[in-house]
Amino acid sequence: MCKWMMIGVISLLSLQLHAQSGFKPVTDLSVVKKEFARAAQQTQSIQCDFVQEKNLSMLSDKITSKGKFWFKRENKVRMEYQQPSYYLLVMNGKDIRIKDAQKESKVSGKNNKLFEQINKITVDCVRGTVLDNTDFTTKAYENAQSYRLEMVPVNKAMAGYFKTITLVVDKKDFTVSSITMAEPSGDDTNISFLHKQVNANIPDAVFVVK
Amino acid sequence: MRIFRMRYLWLNSVLLVTLLTSCTSVYKGLRRTEGNVDCIRQFSPAFDATLYSTQVNILKHHLSGLLFFKQMPDSSLRVVFANEMGFKFFDFEFDKQGNFTKHYLLPRMDKKAVVTTLRKDFELVLLRPDLRQAHVATDSRYRYTVVPTEKGHNYYITDSACTQLVRIEKSSVRKPVVKVWMEHYTQGTPDTIRIEHQHFRFNISLQKTHR
Repeated sequence: MCKWMMIGVISLLSLQLHAQSGFKPVTDLSVVKKEFARAAQQTQSIQCDFVQEKNLSMLSDKITSKGKFWFKRENKVRMEYQQPSYYLLVMNGKDIRIKDAQKESKVSGKNNKLFEQINKITVDCVRGTVLDNTDFTTKAYENAQSYRLEMVPVNKAMAGYFKTITLVVDKKDFTVSSITMAEPSGDDTNISFLHKQVNANIPDAVFVVK
Repeated sequence: MRIFRMRYLWLNSVLLVTLLTSCTSVYKGLRRTEGNVDCIRQFSPAFDATLYSTQVNILKHHLSGLLFFKQMPDSSLRVVFANEMGFKFFDFEFDKQGNFTKHYLLPRMDKKAVVTTLRKDFELVLLRPDLRQAHVATDSRYRYTVVPTEKGHNYYITDSACTQLVRIEKSSVRKPVVKVWMEHYTQGTPDTIRIEHQHFRFNISLQKTHR
């Protein structure tokens, strides 16, 4: 009895929390999927700035990084961290190039499950197929401006890295406004995408992995 | 027969010289002297919330990321290392009494030898040695604050006036095992920190960066 009361109270609190942030559960996920996919059909490229905040819960502190992000259909991604230190990640299909202040290296996404997943989520977001990713169970919420997609890893290895991945998607153009990756330890990493330019002309040279 | 004897003698001489050289301590030229061992405390970094761009080379692997030192309200120090994208490698705590707590280590790295090595490396950087058994020694150039350890000594090497930290050496009985350089102190913390293991490829390089 006590257990059911507790579950009831927690559910009510959870609902209240969603209501407070203005998000309520999406009743028909198939409608969101269709809208997402339709908008994504029209997205050839995205270019924007990003701000990443690594929140260290036990330290009550955060580390802020800034940089630039590029995406080009079908599966080309470039993330260039410019502050507080330089770091470059280029994903072109299965090939990945990483460059830091000291070294440049190439890895294959086939041999690196974590990068493969990051690549898949990024590309799925832009393709509008993120809700079909079977590596996660997804719940969707919405308010007037945005959808919030809460993704919980199914895979045990992935669950070691992420408790949830939360995407906030702008209803206006169905582009991702922010990604929050929550870790089992209580820390999280939030990346906000700003000054988005959709379908700008981005040369292929930006995504060279050689 | 004579040629054989000469070769045998030559080989023995080489072996003897090699053996004698390898048994000789690189610290044998140090002369014990009077001096204040506490002078090295001034080089203990005053980490408040200090961020370093970091590269780690271990055997064939290379890692990079941000290493964050944070002084906590209870005076303990947290050391957190995450890659640029936010994936955490480790989160360690060193308290005021010298106790160590591992809050997190990436499961793939979570081995006793790795924890012990990282713990001892960062203890050198924090520069909070127990100086009760320490003494001062010198050679022709430097002043050495010598702290006995379980397997050898830690040498805190400064200029002769103890105004500048040259390097720290963690040594076995005869030779250095780990060397640490901390240079260009600003606001109580070094701008660069370099940790180099002498017997296998494991180097950590830190450059202070603005948050």
